[in-house]
Amino acid sequence: MPHVLVVDDDPVIADLVAFRLGRLGLEVSVEADGEAGLAAARALHPDLVVLDWMMPRMNGLEVCAALRADADAGLARTPVLLLTAKAQEPDLERGFAAGATDFVAKPFSTRELISRVTAALPPGSIPA
Amino acid sequence: MTALPGPVLLLSTGVTGLVVLLLLSVGGAHLARRRREQRDASRRAALTPLVYNLLDGEQTAQSLADAPAVLDDVVLHLLPQLRGNDRQVLRDLLVARGVVDRAAEQLSARAPWRRGRAAMLLGATGSTRHTPDLVTLLEDRSPDVRSAATRALGKAGDVAAVPYLLAALTTFRPVPSGIVGMAVLDLGTPALPALRTALDSGTASARALSASLLGLHGDLPAVAALTAALDDPGAPPHVRRAAAGALGRIGAPQAGDALSRVTVFAVDPALRQAAAEALGRIGDPDCVPALAAGMSASDLRVRTACADALASITPEGRDRLRALGALDGPAAPAARAALDAVSSAAPRSLAGAS
Repeated sequence: MPHVLVVDDDPVIADLVAFRLGRLGLEVSVEADGEAGLAAARALHPDLVVLDWMMPRMNGLEVCAALRADADAGLARTPVLLLTAKAQEPDLERGFAAGATDFVAKPFSTRELISRVTAALPPGSIPA
Repeated sequence: MTALPGPVLLLSTGVTGLVVLLLLSVGGAHLARRRREQRDASRRAALTPLVYNLLDGEQTAQSLADAPAVLDDVVLHLLPQLRGNDRQVLRDLLVARGVVDRAAEQLSARAPWRRGRAAMLLGATGSTRHTPDLVTLLEDRSPDVRSAATRALGKAGDVAAVPYLLAALTTFRPVPSGIVGMAVLDLGTPALPALRTALDSGTASARALSASLLGLHGDLPAVAALTAALDDPGAPPHVRRAAAGALGRIGAPQAGDALSRVTVFAVDPALRQAAAEALGRIGDPDCVPALAAGMSASDLRVRTACADALASITPEGRDRLRALGALDGPAAPAARAALDAVSSAAPRSLAGAS
């Protein structure tokens, strides 16, 4: 079962995302700040990271760049989905330059989020 | 030890008793508040999955109509973060629970904070049914309520409100331009036709704000009207400056002639500066002669803006700057400073930005 790490400092949003992804049959872990998110990613080796941009301690871009620069090649290749209110053109450029795989702009639709999570995971990895 | 006289003892005992009573009542109030907060938190925790179920289609709005009031906190927290069907589902829930109707009643409450809170709630629910009520509040006696109603009209998403929002800039009790601008931006691209109309025929404040917002949207169909506003010597200077800024943001090379004329011949240095900055954003090499001519302006802001604009046009603009920097005269320091700024600009750090 694919494992998704959700990192968002808004507990209601993190819970909602975890709930919807859990309903898909995915295993979901939640962290509330960038530093804890990075540590969890290194410990858990998730199949996908859903990452807020603006967070305390380490922002989403810093986490993303740290993952891409990780010595563990597997972790460095983990898809990262940025879930953020910062989705203007320059923000997209910065996000992709930091290594994001895809964006979901806040305010977001949970249906769109599920579609993008599904697309970011290997085909057939989500239980039918 | 000397015994205290009777009345003093009585008084001190009374004061001590009052202090103890006060401490007990403060402690009791704290305890009660903590219990209430704990109860609300546990209710929220119990109700939140029901909201998620509702979003998942496994629960109906009607089944949550009589749930405790803390449910509304959860919904109102989620509402601005979601869009599309999710948002509609949450709106329907608030309607089913009577939250929207109660807020509408509160729009005429005596206390300004109640009116403002009701306006914000109606905006968050995206209720266009209450646009006329919110428009009325744009002239409320409280500036906070006027601001709340303005933002609410933006959040509610009814583009019919645009003319009223722009009119609120110049009423007897005006709303600050920045707040109106944010509200109109919240309305998104559906507001563009109304902004184009206001650019042609609105008040000076409405024209200036419309020009700026059209520029932020990168609205190509507005380029002709923006160019006309820029080129109109009878238009107020702030309208012309806003038009210049918008043309630069849009990146409209067809406005290059008008911007060049203004850069070289306009009287207002701030307008010349805005036009030069716009030319720099557009980056058309055909505008290099006008920017070079602007380098002989007596106002330092104009010379600096022209130099910065030339520095952003490669290679023609930078070549001209090098030539100007090698000469004597007022243009030379600005030209050299612009070239230095370009050559010393560090590569932008992407990962470290917040």
